[in-house]
Amino acid sequence: MNAAPLARRPLGCLKASLRQTRQQKMLFTRHMATEAAQAQTTTTPLPPPQHDFFRLNDRKTKTLRTAFAVYPTTTVAGTAKLAPPPVNVLQSLHEAQIKKMDPTGARTALFAKTREAAKVGDVLMVTHRRGGEPFAGVCLSIRRRGIDTAILLRNHLGKVGVEMWFKIYNKNVAGVEIVKRRAKRARRARLTYMRKAKHDMGSVEDLVFAWKRSRRVFSSGRATAAGAARAKGAAAKKK
Amino acid sequence: MAPRLPARCWRQLALRPSTALPTSLARPSLLPATTTAAGGNTTTSSSLPYIQSRTVKTGWSTLPSRAKPHRFNQVTSGLPAPLAGPAAALKRRERTTPVRAGVLAVKKGMTVFMGRRGGRIACTVLQLDRVQTVLNKTRNKHGYWAVQVGMGERNPGNVGAPLLGYFEAKGMAPKEVLAEFRVRDEKGLLPVGVQLMPDWFHVGQRVDVRSNSRGMGFAGGMKRHGFSGQEASHGNSKNHRTIGSVGPSQGSGSRVLPGKKMPGRMGNQRVTIQNLPILMVDNELGILVVKGCVAGPKGSVIQVQDACKKDPPSQEWIDKSRKMLEERFPGAEAHLQAARERHLELKEARREKRIAELMAEGVTPSEEHADVIEEILAASAKEDATTERESAGF
Repeated sequence: MNAAPLARRPLGCLKASLRQTRQQKMLFTRHMATEAAQAQTTTTPLPPPQHDFFRLNDRKTKTLRTAFAVYPTTTVAGTAKLAPPPVNVLQSLHEAQIKKMDPTGARTALFAKTREAAKVGDVLMVTHRRGGEPFAGVCLSIRRRGIDTAILLRNHLGKVGVEMWFKIYNKNVAGVEIVKRRAKRARRARLTYMRKAKHDMGSVEDLVFAWKRSRRVFSSGRATAAGAARAKGAAAKKK
Repeated sequence: MAPRLPARCWRQLALRPSTALPTSLARPSLLPATTTAAGGNTTTSSSLPYIQSRTVKTGWSTLPSRAKPHRFNQVTSGLPAPLAGPAAALKRRERTTPVRAGVLAVKKGMTVFMGRRGGRIACTVLQLDRVQTVLNKTRNKHGYWAVQVGMGERNPGNVGAPLLGYFEAKGMAPKEVLAEFRVRDEKGLLPVGVQLMPDWFHVGQRVDVRSNSRGMGFAGGMKRHGFSGQEASHGNSKNHRTIGSVGPSQGSGSRVLPGKKMPGRMGNQRVTIQNLPILMVDNELGILVVKGCVAGPKGSVIQVQDACKKDPPSQEWIDKSRKMLEERFPGAEAHLQAARERHLELKEARREKRIAELMAEGVTPSEEHADVIEEILAASAKEDATTERESAGF
């Protein structure tokens, strides 16, 4: 570079180069470390990749313009199987959970779409595990959502209309029993009209009282065939 | 600026002794070229180029003065690191960037999780459809660390030629969706082409879930921003749901301020739900169940990644999930390398219009291009090596 400083301080050039060496010392050691790590990797013989060709044709001449290799959708990284996941996962998830929460299948049967099952318009009684009185009421609707299936019961408590939703697979619901079946099948899926004064059923207390008394008779008396049949219809749920 | 005069006009002026520099400054020994330039006129030769000519040879550097390395502009000079710029930005976001890459999923719907003691948790079911890693993005090449991940399957007819070539080089079928997940550093990068299964996450860990919300279309101010609307009566006419004033009048500029909330398109925006716990992981069903709700309709594409505002999963889990990948797909690297080589062959063939013959006779590496391909591969390997080295030093 400049001749004059060099003439004044002949060792000045050494200073500059030594500084550069100092600065690069750290980087240099890292280079060595990286090189050593690379030496450990081994090369494996490459398997021949399996693929098809996808043709791109010229629109006017209809001849091959170019083509690309397209690998099969069923393999991943050359070897392992790659399959699309099942479609109806929600259903399988529901089934798995229902199996866990309702191992006997009693609750599923109670609200299945069968002749024997409970329907809207029936008077049901739900026993709750968290203490308190069992809640009875007329079933206004059954909301079928797999594991989240729920029923809506309506009753009058102290001349005030009360409605409660119960998740039938919840562990807090200790049991669901049919107190009284509706004489004739309801022609609606949801009996929301029963909230109106004209159709309101009022309190179901007397129905429950009568049912309890009949049960006491049956349970205290002999276990008759008739009682067993009634019990089957009622499908008393324990846990 | 003075008019540029021809030399014959000002040559006479230069002869005047008053315009000439003092003769004491003249150093004839330093001016060897002036005699020929002035055409033998000695008076002119002593007066014209009096400035000493400075060249590279005489100690003049072409570098701008700031670029010269000196002790104040070195990395190790003790100066504080700059607070702005790419490196500073990465450093700033380091803590909130997840350590591991995430996965893509499809929202399948919502259901509940019933607990053994009567608990009930609303949850969302996300399904992973053939999720594969596609690309690693590095600090040196792309400016940040990230893993590109693809999901699903797309008909090659619906993929353009550039992307067909891209997937050809990756050795995988064209993917339906591609997305990238930023990771903290090179330790988060993954082998390319491996499949990410739901057990990439573990039950109980927190994740951030990103997706586009359900589009509402053009919505008014009441729905879009929760404005109160206007009154139903007291003389109001046909303005019950309109927004009111949009700003002050004269004196405040008589303008609408930027960002004023107004009616417009609502929804279909990217929404992040943070810190959702994972309730269930199932490889067979390919599902991931997270607590709570996730933005968007059923079937929308969801990005799931470790929560950025919680601690990352334990180091054991990170190592375990990484090891699981390597055990499941030991041939991933070799397959990628083979696919790259095949891609280079095919690319060369396409360029030379040999692709039809090549398809007819089957793909066999030709001898004449083998050298070229080897060179390209060696160059890329070298580049990779330097990248790694630089990243190690970074």
